[in-house]
Amino acid sequence: MGCEPQRVTALVDDALEGEERAALEAHLAGCEECGAQLEEEQHIRASLRGLPSPEPTFGLEQRVRRRLRGRGRLSAAARLLLPLAAVLMVALWARGYSPFVAWELARDHTHCFGMDPLPARVLASEPEIVTAWFDEQGTNLPLIPPSVGRLALVGGRFCWLPDASRAAHVYYASDHGQVSVFLVPHDVRMSDEHAAHVGGRTVALVRLGSSILGVVGDDENQVGAFVSRLRTSVAALGPGATPILTTLRPAS
Amino acid sequence: MAYRLTGNAHDAEDLVQETMLRAYRAFDRYRPGTNARAWLFTILHRLRTDALRRRGRSPETVELLNDGPPVAPVHEAILTSGREEIVRALENLPEVFRSAVVLRDVEEFTHAEIADILGVPVGTVMSRIHRGRAHLRRALSGRV
Repeated sequence: MGCEPQRVTALVDDALEGEERAALEAHLAGCEECGAQLEEEQHIRASLRGLPSPEPTFGLEQRVRRRLRGRGRLSAAARLLLPLAAVLMVALWARGYSPFVAWELARDHTHCFGMDPLPARVLASEPEIVTAWFDEQGTNLPLIPPSVGRLALVGGRFCWLPDASRAAHVYYASDHGQVSVFLVPHDVRMSDEHAAHVGGRTVALVRLGSSILGVVGDDENQVGAFVSRLRTSVAALGPGATPILTTLRPAS
Repeated sequence: MAYRLTGNAHDAEDLVQETMLRAYRAFDRYRPGTNARAWLFTILHRLRTDALRRRGRSPETVELLNDGPPVAPVHEAILTSGREEIVRALENLPEVFRSAVVLRDVEEFTHAEIADILGVPVGTVMSRIHRGRAHLRRALSGRV
């Protein structure tokens, strides 16, 4: 057998067996060069073996533990946040979904008119007073009609919607029923109008200019009359008359 | 191992921290009953390789390095070299050889385990160890 330096390395690493090992050992007995390599590699290996590792700086273990705990917290946070994110996604989707908006406005109408006394934050039949109150709250409703047919202005408040936005809610009432007019604070996926019946209430969502109004009442005819009136008022003002509640004229 | 690869305590500790975090995240991929220590070294090696790649250095390409002109090792010089000199020579060894030598001589892994850790065939491991030690012998020869 001739010189095979890589086999010498394998012998140093105790990775040769049987005949291979015997053949190399026989060669080593007569080869000074390979014998020197063996000794040198053994010396290097012995020096490196058990080389003391440098002491980790103080706090390495604590830093690793802290970062691992941080991962745990993140996982726990993710477990909590993911369902919340899902709920938020559904809420964002639902807020522009016209049947859902109609249902929500009908619920607010029923809730408010089901209370005695009416939970209005401003109680007045004069549009100027109601308008001034909404203005103070940052919502511009300068020309609220004092009445539509027999329905007379009673007052108003804000109602919270499920996405934490708030809709201006204006109350109208007569001896024969009640109507709510809402200014929906966000867009709704629909064409010009969406009509719905929810729990015995009639709901009309109407797009007038850049605003979405919701009209809710117990009587379908009253709601229809209110919507017609709104449309006529806006049409009379000509194009560009938005937002709608700022342009409504008092009933003659 | 981390210290021998990176050459300084700060980078070594970063590498150890990253290795532990990666192992923690990948724990579901660890097969119980297999060599946990080798598994950790596999992660450490991958992180180190990725870090080198990001810096535009690829340890694999180092394998193509020429071993240099054959210089007859000076037997006496090598056998009288102390641990400090050997460690210094190790620090100057191209990383591709250094990782194989450290895994064998410092960490005492078998050739097969090193092949798993580095993701190369056993023959390549043996070749790297051989060439690595040859580099060290030449380096130690030159000290006198």
